Amino acid sequence: MMQLWDVEVKSRKIEIVLILAVFLASLPLILNYGLLILSSFSTEMVTNLDPTSFRPTIDNWILLFEGRLSVTGGVREDVVRYTINTAIVALGVAGVVVLVSVMAGYAMSRMNFKGRSLIMQMILLLHAFPGVALIIAVYLIFRATLPSDIELARIYSFAYVIVARAALEIPMSIWLIKGFFDRVPWEVEWAAIIDGASRLRVWREVMLPMVKPGIAAIAIFAFLAGWEDLIYVRTFLFDRTLATYIESNINVEFAYMPLLAAAGTLYLLPTILFFILTQRLLLETSTGGIKG
Amino acid sequence: MAGNTTKYAIIGIIIIIIIAIGAYYATQKPAQTTTTPTTTSSPSPTTTSSPSPTTTTAPPKTVELTGDFNKDIIAVGKALEANGISEVKFTVWAAGDPNSVMRIYGIYEAAHRINKIWADNGINVKITVNKYWISDFNQLYQEYLSKQPLGQAGDFFVDSYVFIGSLAKEGYILDITPWVNKYWDSVFSDFYKPLWQGMKVGDKYYGIPQDTEARPLYIRKDVAKCIGWDLSNVADLVKEGKFTWKDVYEKAKEAVSKGCSEWGLIHRKGSAHPDLIQFIYAFGGKLYDPEKDKLVLDVPAVYKWLYVEWKFAQDGLLPKDIMSWDWAKQIHPTIVEGKTLFDIGGTWYWTEWQTKDYYTDPNTGEKRGLKPEEVKEWFYYTLFPAGEEGLKPVTLSQPFAWMINSRAGEQNPKYDELKDLYHKLAFLIVVKASDPDINAIHSVISAHVPVRKKATELLYDKDWINKLVNLQLDLAPEVKDNIKDIVATTVNEINVEFLANVSYMLDYTHMAPNHPKYPALADIFAETVDQVLRGQMTPEEAVQHIISRIQADPELSQAVEIVGEIPGGWQFP
Amino acid sequence: MKKNIFSTNKVQLLIFLLPAFLIVLLFYIIPIIITVYVSFTPMRNWNIDKYFNVIVGLQNYNRLFSLITRDPVARQVVMNTVVFVAITLAINVLGGLGLALANFFIDERVSTGFRTLWLLPRMTPIAVYGLLWYYFFHGSSIGMLNSIAMSLGLIKKPIAWGQEVIPWGPWSIIIIVNGFVGVSFGMVIFYSALKSIPRELIIAARVDGASNWKLTTNILIPLLRWHLLFVTTWQLLSLLTTYAHTFLLVEWGVVSRTYGQTWALYVFNTAFGRGEQDQGLAAAAAVILVIFGAILGWITVRALGFNKMITKPKGDI
Repeated sequence: MMQLWDVEVKSRKIEIVLILAVFLASLPLILNYGLLILSSFSTEMVTNLDPTSFRPTIDNWILLFEGRLSVTGGVREDVVRYTINTAIVALGVAGVVVLVSVMAGYAMSRMNFKGRSLIMQMILLLHAFPGVALIIAVYLIFRATLPSDIELARIYSFAYVIVARAALEIPMSIWLIKGFFDRVPWEVEWAAIIDGASRLRVWREVMLPMVKPGIAAIAIFAFLAGWEDLIYVRTFLFDRTLATYIESNINVEFAYMPLLAAAGTLYLLPTILFFILTQRLLLETSTGGIKG
Repeated sequence: MAGNTTKYAIIGIIIIIIIAIGAYYATQKPAQTTTTPTTTSSPSPTTTSSPSPTTTTAPPKTVELTGDFNKDIIAVGKALEANGISEVKFTVWAAGDPNSVMRIYGIYEAAHRINKIWADNGINVKITVNKYWISDFNQLYQEYLSKQPLGQAGDFFVDSYVFIGSLAKEGYILDITPWVNKYWDSVFSDFYKPLWQGMKVGDKYYGIPQDTEARPLYIRKDVAKCIGWDLSNVADLVKEGKFTWKDVYEKAKEAVSKGCSEWGLIHRKGSAHPDLIQFIYAFGGKLYDPEKDKLVLDVPAVYKWLYVEWKFAQDGLLPKDIMSWDWAKQIHPTIVEGKTLFDIGGTWYWTEWQTKDYYTDPNTGEKRGLKPEEVKEWFYYTLFPAGEEGLKPVTLSQPFAWMINSRAGEQNPKYDELKDLYHKLAFLIVVKASDPDINAIHSVISAHVPVRKKATELLYDKDWINKLVNLQLDLAPEVKDNIKDIVATTVNEINVEFLANVSYMLDYTHMAPNHPKYPALADIFAETVDQVLRGQMTPEEAVQHIISRIQADPELSQAVEIVGEIPGGWQFP
Repeated sequence: MKKNIFSTNKVQLLIFLLPAFLIVLLFYIIPIIITVYVSFTPMRNWNIDKYFNVIVGLQNYNRLFSLITRDPVARQVVMNTVVFVAITLAINVLGGLGLALANFFIDERVSTGFRTLWLLPRMTPIAVYGLLWYYFFHGSSIGMLNSIAMSLGLIKKPIAWGQEVIPWGPWSIIIIVNGFVGVSFGMVIFYSALKSIPRELIIAARVDGASNWKLTTNILIPLLRWHLLFVTTWQLLSLLTTYAHTFLLVEWGVVSRTYGQTWALYVFNTAFGRGEQDQGLAAAAAVILVIFGAILGWITVRALGFNKMITKPKGDI
């Protein structure tokens, strides 16, 4: 924590001003999410400053874990299963994205080859192609490669949705991580190569620890993309995730909204945890890592 | 960190292996993926069974349906058994409000009953059913579209009839015409005739009606009393076309100006299927020309509809921003608290108001659902009145249909061989799920109107209703278990009486066309009505706007015929 | 020695690039070719068997052209898109930078809280996120904004922000709603970039007595050039194609249909929102959008001096 303290040493006053400013800008978010959580404990959605709409109950949460959508009636749903499915997709996407882009990003940053600059620009422009349009062709490929065995097809649908969704994140991640590799002093790597280590080993043992904040950033983005994805999941995944579960039941004419507020809150908890954990883990180790 | 990297690497490798397996399978089975869909697009079920190849040893690959349910189901069961099938798995997909669970459990119950018949006849085959349910029927349809070609959609698809046109065109659902014909006399002639028009494309049947409803005009009795309006014969006046929208306007105005209610009229919002097209029918217009198979933009009727809405909103009788009101916080509370004289709603409102906490009790300050007695005491209901004198009252139905996937049964063994048998079994399950009592249970607990007369008769059968209340009916245990709390809150004399009382409305019902392009037209309507209500467009401008939007889209303009002109000198009220 | 390393280099290069290459090939290059092809077919409702071999020529393009030129709503849509993309882009880049810097200068514990908070919109399923703003901007008294403004005495009766205050009401709402999601993108990227700046640089500047402002303008921002360029280009392309959040706001009536629709949403609604799933039309729209986006992206990349930044790896052989 020494280094952080060094940055702060300038002025306590400025820091307080900054905190206040960010707090003010965050106010709508605080209000919105606060009300969402509050509503999940109320029989009626709390949407404005009127305190009478808050009527405390914990039934919403009980109903949610019973897998129900309304106070009376409704078909039972396996919400726990959906949560696990969502996590599988999100972790899978994060894994694929990190692996692929950390490799490619390293090559783009540290290896010189013809057409390198052009490839980088092309990768960026790939993003101009929206997922909703790509999905037609991606669906075609999915259909052509789908195994006919039912159980295998189910597993395949997980794998496919993970890789397909990861593909959308990869251009961004390659770019990002390249930026991080670029800033690692060349001498660090050079020394290792002189010692006779292969590039693969240098990459793994020397370079990766130095770009941990970058890995954290792309992992977070990829995880979140997989966690909240709706269109790809709905089209390719045979099982349901929390996103499809919530999306298909929200704000319709007869929806019991406080229950969906609870579902929404549940949906947010793991992501918040994941974010805080990766932040701590990766940032703290990295601060000590740079010594040359 | 190294640990992390290896973890990611392992995940990556696993996925790559899985893809490789997938690719391997894909290259192995090219014939499978290309042949099945082409055969599904044109099922010709009854004709395929030629008697010649049946030698003494080979088990039958299909059976001929006769129209006698027990005979047929036993024949199917025996044929399956002879082919070595002991379990048949089906999945049912359905959508709707939380009380409409019988769209799922109807199939469960039918399977239960068929299993029993088979067991009684010593046939060792069992049907098991899986379910998939979401609230939004539009989304379920979209999911069906993308999963059907993958062979992952439900074998039974229970959704609005409006999708039948598109699904039939793509070959995603079975043409069941020959079988419906076989069962016409024994089962389907009992169904209400108008419902069938939505199940057909051309002269072919693609669905069986599952439920329907009417959209009554609700009138608050307490507000009517406040303006000194005697409601006793209004329903009859409406029926005779003597009480028209001009009268609705006058009464609404009176209620608001006398301070009896805040609003004169409240109606639903929504885009995909606005109830408001009832106005088109009420003004003698139409939406579809069956001869040309084209949608119709009936300009005079559309103009009159928009004018009425505009007038109501301009005079402060109908909220200008009704199309963006919140269901739970605005629309329903306004109605149940008597802040409007009229409401255009649906039959399902009747129980919706009882099961949801929309009402703030003035004595306790607590939010609660209405008691059945209160609903009955406060709400009068009629047909949707005629637009003007000389025309007829109407109502609008959106029947739900049992549809059968053109790949039904695919998750079962020997599908390629026994496809026809599986399809027929699926059809017979739907026939069973149309049993009067199953249909009547659905109607009562979800406040929908039965689709067949025998189900309606059960509503008048006090004995049967009592048995339902106490769950003494002979139903599969999981069905009982899943409907018991709905039964407890919704089945009572008042609600059953209401349903019986509104079923006459089906004689006046209209249905929006199930043409594949209808939703696009409905969307334009919804967008335009919103702007008219807000006063951002006059009715004349709105009609022009609709026309130019239709003409801007070559596909839509080919599908829609624009007829008539804005009537000059027409006045409302 | 030179030769030796160079020869292994190629194999190693291949190893490093192979996974990315495969994914790009499988999920971009091939799909792009298929998409161009599909734009000449009447593909709809995912019915590959029926429509894949049917060629209708330019029919989808004609239809699009007809919609753009003749549909009264489409004209407004173009204007909406320009305003939406320009303003939201500025907010996303500058706001993200501001947030990252602010978080950089404040206590780590406080900043983790803020950064989590600002990431929430990105973590929230679109429908739930849309719902929050639905209630926030609702045009009646149930809306939070109306409720606040009324209790402060700023307005007497509720205002339908997204429907009556035209055109800036609906514009502001779609910009704010998308901005809160977009800002976190820049924030995370800039923040992690700031965090990986060698401490020695900052400490040295501090020792020299640099103020926060000087430190920011002279050291931090120059070091973030690469990331700034990236975020700008990336967000530009994202905003051109985004529609999901706006879709719900329009659908639920929070913003006016005419003034709240952007081009991407308009195409989405025409191709998918109306019963039929018209993939042929969507493909045609996508082809046009990608050409347009690629040109815009290219210009941005050039204008911001991309080439100067891709320096040759110094030590590589």
